[in-house]
Amino acid sequence: MVRELEFPNPSPMYGERTNMSEPPEKLPVVIIACQIMQEMLKKLLPDGLARDVTYMDYGLHRYPNKMTLSVQEQIDAVAEPSLIVLGYGLCGNGLNGIKAGPHTLLIPRTDDCIAILLGSREAYMREFEAEPGTYYLSKGWLESGSNPLAEYHEYVEKYGEKDATWIMDTQYQHYERLVLVAHDEADLEKYRPQAKEVAAYCQRWNMRYEEILGSDAYARRLVEVAAALDTADSNFVVVPPGGEIRQEQFI
Amino acid sequence: MSRLYERLSTAVLEGDAEKSPKLVQRALDNGLGPKEILDNGLVPGMNEVGVRFKRGDMFVPEVLMSADAMKEGLELLRPYLAAAGAKLIGKIVMGTVKGDLHDIGKNLVGMMCEGAGFEVINLGFNVEPEKFVEAIKEHQPDIVGMSALLTTTMRSMGYAIKAIEEAGLRDQVKIMIGGAPVDAPFADRIGADGYGSNGPAGADLAKQFVGA
Repeated sequence: MVRELEFPNPSPMYGERTNMSEPPEKLPVVIIACQIMQEMLKKLLPDGLARDVTYMDYGLHRYPNKMTLSVQEQIDAVAEPSLIVLGYGLCGNGLNGIKAGPHTLLIPRTDDCIAILLGSREAYMREFEAEPGTYYLSKGWLESGSNPLAEYHEYVEKYGEKDATWIMDTQYQHYERLVLVAHDEADLEKYRPQAKEVAAYCQRWNMRYEEILGSDAYARRLVEVAAALDTADSNFVVVPPGGEIRQEQFI
Repeated sequence: MSRLYERLSTAVLEGDAEKSPKLVQRALDNGLGPKEILDNGLVPGMNEVGVRFKRGDMFVPEVLMSADAMKEGLELLRPYLAAAGAKLIGKIVMGTVKGDLHDIGKNLVGMMCEGAGFEVINLGFNVEPEKFVEAIKEHQPDIVGMSALLTTTMRSMGYAIKAIEEAGLRDQVKIMIGGAPVDAPFADRIGADGYGSNGPAGADLAKQFVGA
């Protein structure tokens, strides 16, 4: 069921070199990414690689349908056929159905930003296997208020204390671990106080708190692949012009 | 009498878990049949929840509360249904697949299937592929239901189906899947027999499978 990445119909623009004396025409690179990648990319992007960089709101993943529309809108606004790097994962199917139009799309082949923050898909899989009952707190989720404590407050306002508590218990009672994950020490420190507040609340389900220091390795590879698309391996999804992002490319 | 059914449906729709069993009790006291109370009160309430959730007029917490209201009503009704000798239309084994511990949606589908007349054997959550195989051998169900909430765990459904195939049991059961990230094409791809988008849809699919 797990499909290896195929390079579907490589566009002659970067693929088939019929005449070696003529270097393939390079597509301009445009980056559309979640804010979660802003710091990493700022550090990693070599001068002159990207013609345009747009960072999108942290909270898009909360409404996958809206996320699809917002990202599609950004893609459609790019005039010239480009290599568009999407700094996202599948994000709860938020990218499912996005159309490349005249562009080529490059996307990390991951379910969500946790693998990007951990530095690789393998690291994510390892964690996942070790402890399925893990709730991950990332910078993006904390910044956008997607965490159990924020959710609880939201529910109290809407449904009152008693129902809010019942709703939360029903949803989270099987979780066993809360993990703050960040790609560097500085972010771990920055988000620790907020994460610990959430952790204190999650103690009601006996969830233990852990921190995992990841790396920027996945983001670094993404930037490298953006500069040399033919080096894309199975950690990336490449969608040719006219193609569409499909869930099965990630699963 | 229909007024009482309507009030029961409303209690489910509004997620009132205190009122729901009280109304069921009152209906029983009034001499209404348990199957009729289920079919005309509880189930239509939950069906409407499905419609509103799909439309975006209801959110997960509200669905949760409605499911709870249905559960409280159904629990009170269950012994009466059994005593009345309500005919079972089939047997379903269901579980949330390996790696996934979200069981709210699956339990809701289970309840709707029960409401539709199935015997439901609930395997819980984080169910290993082998567990599904064992359960088929043990319970000889007509249908196996699998659920997952995450894209990270939906692949486990494929592994579970493969395990069922390898055990030589695939032909004796219909397999239905559901959960937020999955859809009908995914069901096709992993070799399931169908996909249900919510509780009522899951129950309808199950009925189709047994020709009810």
